[in-house]
Amino acid sequence: MTKFYHDDPAWADIEPIPQDDTGHPLVAIAYTAEYSEAMGYLRAVMARNEHSERVLALTEHVIGINPAHYTVWLYRARTLEHLSIPPSDELRWLNPIALSHLKNYQIWNHRQAIVDRRDSCEGEADFIAQMLDQDAKNYHVWSYRQWMVERFGLWRDVGEVAFAEEMIGRDVRNNSAWNHRFFVLFGGRKKGQAGEGEEEGKEEEEKEKEKELVQREIEYAKQAIRQAPQSQSAWDYLRAVLRHAHLPISTIAGFANEYNDVSPPRSLHALEAQLEIYAEQNKVDEARSTLEALAEFDPVRKPYWTYRQKELVVA
Amino acid sequence: MAAAPEVGTILHFPRHVKYWRRNLKTHLPTYYTENDTNRMMLAFFTLSAEEILGDLDAALSPEERQGYIDWIYHCQLPEGGFRSSPATDLGTARDDKNAVWDPPELSGTFGALLSLAILGDDLQRVKRKGILRWLSAMQRPDGSFGQILEDYGRPPEGGYDPRFCYMAAGIRWILRSNVEGPVEGVPDIDVDKLVQCIRERETYNGGIAAAPFREAHAGYTSCAISALSLVDRLPLQSSQPPDTRLRGLTKPHLTLRWLVSRQTLTLDNDDAIDTHGEEASLSATYCSGSPPSDSAIPELPWVGINGRCCKIADTCYSYYVCTSLHILGHLDLVNAKPIRRWLLDRTQHLVLGGFGKTPGDYPDILHAYLGLFTLALFGEPGLRPVWAPLSISQRVKEHIESLPWRKQVASYA
Ligand SMILES: [Zn+2]
Repeated sequence: MTKFYHDDPAWADIEPIPQDDTGHPLVAIAYTAEYSEAMGYLRAVMARNEHSERVLALTEHVIGINPAHYTVWLYRARTLEHLSIPPSDELRWLNPIALSHLKNYQIWNHRQAIVDRRDSCEGEADFIAQMLDQDAKNYHVWSYRQWMVERFGLWRDVGEVAFAEEMIGRDVRNNSAWNHRFFVLFGGRKKGQAGEGEEEGKEEEEKEKEKELVQREIEYAKQAIRQAPQSQSAWDYLRAVLRHAHLPISTIAGFANEYNDVSPPRSLHALEAQLEIYAEQNKVDEARSTLEALAEFDPVRKPYWTYRQKELVVA
Repeated sequence: MAAAPEVGTILHFPRHVKYWRRNLKTHLPTYYTENDTNRMMLAFFTLSAEEILGDLDAALSPEERQGYIDWIYHCQLPEGGFRSSPATDLGTARDDKNAVWDPPELSGTFGALLSLAILGDDLQRVKRKGILRWLSAMQRPDGSFGQILEDYGRPPEGGYDPRFCYMAAGIRWILRSNVEGPVEGVPDIDVDKLVQCIRERETYNGGIAAAPFREAHAGYTSCAISALSLVDRLPLQSSQPPDTRLRGLTKPHLTLRWLVSRQTLTLDNDDAIDTHGEEASLSATYCSGSPPSDSAIPELPWVGINGRCCKIADTCYSYYVCTSLHILGHLDLVNAKPIRRWLLDRTQHLVLGGFGKTPGDYPDILHAYLGLFTLALFGEPGLRPVWAPLSISQRVKEHIESLPWRKQVASYA
């Protein structure tokens, strides 16, 4: 529904400021009359520093047409503060807007500020899940979820791990979900959390628990790879867990070999793991023949494998 | 090698010229309204595309050229820095109390400086010291940069991710070359912190993310690598003498591997569905790689580039991945010919000119520019040589370096 202001008595006191785009404007846009007018009124109320209910409605109008407008969000945020609008009211307003502008960054920035002010993440996980139902790999939505984990200290939270697991279960190649799993389990643990300032015995116990966790995650990644041997995401995760735990790549030698003992191999990533194992063990000839196999079976990355062969000679 | 598929694979030069002249000379369609506050970057893409096509001089009368320069300067704010668009201009009503709603903005300032340089301006009317002071104030204690500054003394708003590090590094390079420390009484940004900010965003698989521990993404990776290049903090080559400066890319080999792994045969959504089904049944059309069923593998017809692990190809990522590799000195590690064919056969628009995001899409300014730039990076005949770190032509880079005031500043190094 289009909305104009010039014939609205509630706005009769405002003289709009038209856009000054004279001379030789670059990349001028064919605005609608509605947008041009709304922007004229927006500039006029901004010039007066007016923070009122009608201003909220006007910012909503402009955001609906141009959600990437960078000062309109700030202006709205300051108006909310001025009017002491409770954060929960603003979230209720924001939900449908977020759903219709999934790829917009400003919306998430705004939501973050409001949830931060509310000091509670109640309902956020469900809302995010709903967004991811529409776009399971949306970068902004996952980023926002990770901000929530950081802000509210949800490290190794059972719900977060289960959520990552569910998303990976739906699509084993959802790299965002794999990344989230790594982040929640091994990522952002800050000082003052696990381990610090605790007595000796507890520290040992921590170490044992950590070992178990690493084992569990290695098995988890292997299980996913069995479903989809070519899933780069699962392989990257497996390597990351090994590196995080300072375990050698040869830890998975037997597993990689399950995929490599046929020709052509059933997984290029297993073959690459094999290459790393040989490199770790300084088996140059074996590494070279593995690189030759990679160049043959992975034509998309052939120039890269050829380069690695040359590097091998140099090293 | 260069067999049948090459024949129809050409850059339809006149159509691209037509596409970019239309962007330059007529109103953009209404759907660009959601980019209204991003006009300075759209202007930069348009001018730079015309420059790379070698059509800018023919397209502009001297009066138009001067008119555009004046329009850009009209977006400069009294305190220094540029707004991104006349959309926030409060005109004669602007005063100290309401200037916060009409602030200089990072991408506006970056796009304005580059656009002025492309138009051949000498940047003498740019309030350089004001911009550099503002740039320092826009940097946060964690090294990241904001998008706008509400007030000196208050933390900057927005930004955070490596795109903003990149634009800040670009503005700094244009205005003060690569001189570290104060120049003419104006403080430098904290370069070590910028480097630290990027290092913290390196991910477990070698890419770079928007924030620490977020998912690796080719756009952020490219911005980070370009930024490090502009402040001269990439890892030293083995031939260079070691120094003590903090450098970015803590695991360059992993980053290279991640970049080359962005090449994909998953070129559109139909492929994505196919791949998914086949992979589940283990007959494997590879997520990155082709079926190993046939030992006599023919030359790859098309190779696309994705932005994240296990996503479909998209024109803009050809730019982000290829500029990154180019800057790292390893553009030869990707399949230049099949990538070129993918751009020209699949995402180039044969009627309108320009490039779309994925096969069958209409062109848009961002993808059309980045597709063109990628071809220029590979040395496409007919296009001007380009300089990857600022995604401009080599000629424009040399113009900036030749400006007398900048030579003066650079001599402080
Ligand atoms: Zn794109």
